[in-house]
Amino acid sequence: MAVSRQNSRAGQDVLRRVGEASVLILISLADGPKHGYALIQDIKELADVELGPGTLYGALDRLERLGLIDPLPAEDRRHPYRITAPGADALRVHLDSLERVSAAGRLRLQLGGI
Amino acid sequence: MNDPWAARLVETVLRCYPARWRRRHGEEAAELAALLIRDGTPAVSVAWSYLAGAARERLTPRPGRRLTAVACALLVAACSLGISADLLASAAPARAASTSQPRGPAHCRPGSPGLVPGVPPAIGRPRVIIWEGPHGQPC
Repeated sequence: MAVSRQNSRAGQDVLRRVGEASVLILISLADGPKHGYALIQDIKELADVELGPGTLYGALDRLERLGLIDPLPAEDRRHPYRITAPGADALRVHLDSLERVSAAGRLRLQLGGI
Repeated sequence: MNDPWAARLVETVLRCYPARWRRRHGEEAAELAALLIRDGTPAVSVAWSYLAGAARERLTPRPGRRLTAVACALLVAACSLGISADLLASAAPARAASTSQPRGPAHCRPGSPGLVPGVPPAIGRPRVIIWEGPHGQPC
């Protein structure tokens, strides 16, 4: 079930149900291809989240099935991945959605005076 | 991995993944585990993550696997129905025999079943007993 570019452009947040690990992987791949170890290191630095290797491979397989990332030819034993165009669009839509929710949350905190 | 115990632990846990997954990620996963353990991640924590991943990998339904599961479920259901029908069929005459009074002439009542002359007893198959009275007709 690959996500077409048109679907993610239409504003459907396909990343809503894929879990935090998948979103973090897409964010990490947004600035260039990375392999498993580099992804874990980057995500730890970026979000202070220690991704377990089992979780990492599960999320990579899911994202690949969705057509949001592509495996690149193996370098030695490492398989780098890159974000696809539909993956970048899906990430943009998801981040926009998070921003809206975040802004609404901050506004409500202000209004509530908490 | 310097620690042979950690290497063995990770290797064992990686065997829990399906063969398809191991062919694709196996070598890289072992190398990644070695790097994480070298960086100070406890081997048990790495192994646990892989174990949970293997469970997820085996439990997550996939289109092909779902079809196989449906086929298996249908086969099991068909077998259960067949067995149930067979049990019912074999239980019905027994129930009938235990709840009803024997009818017909005394010589036709069960008690001393005799084999039909000329019919050899079946070996490895249920024996078919035909009650035959002195009148020469099956009762």
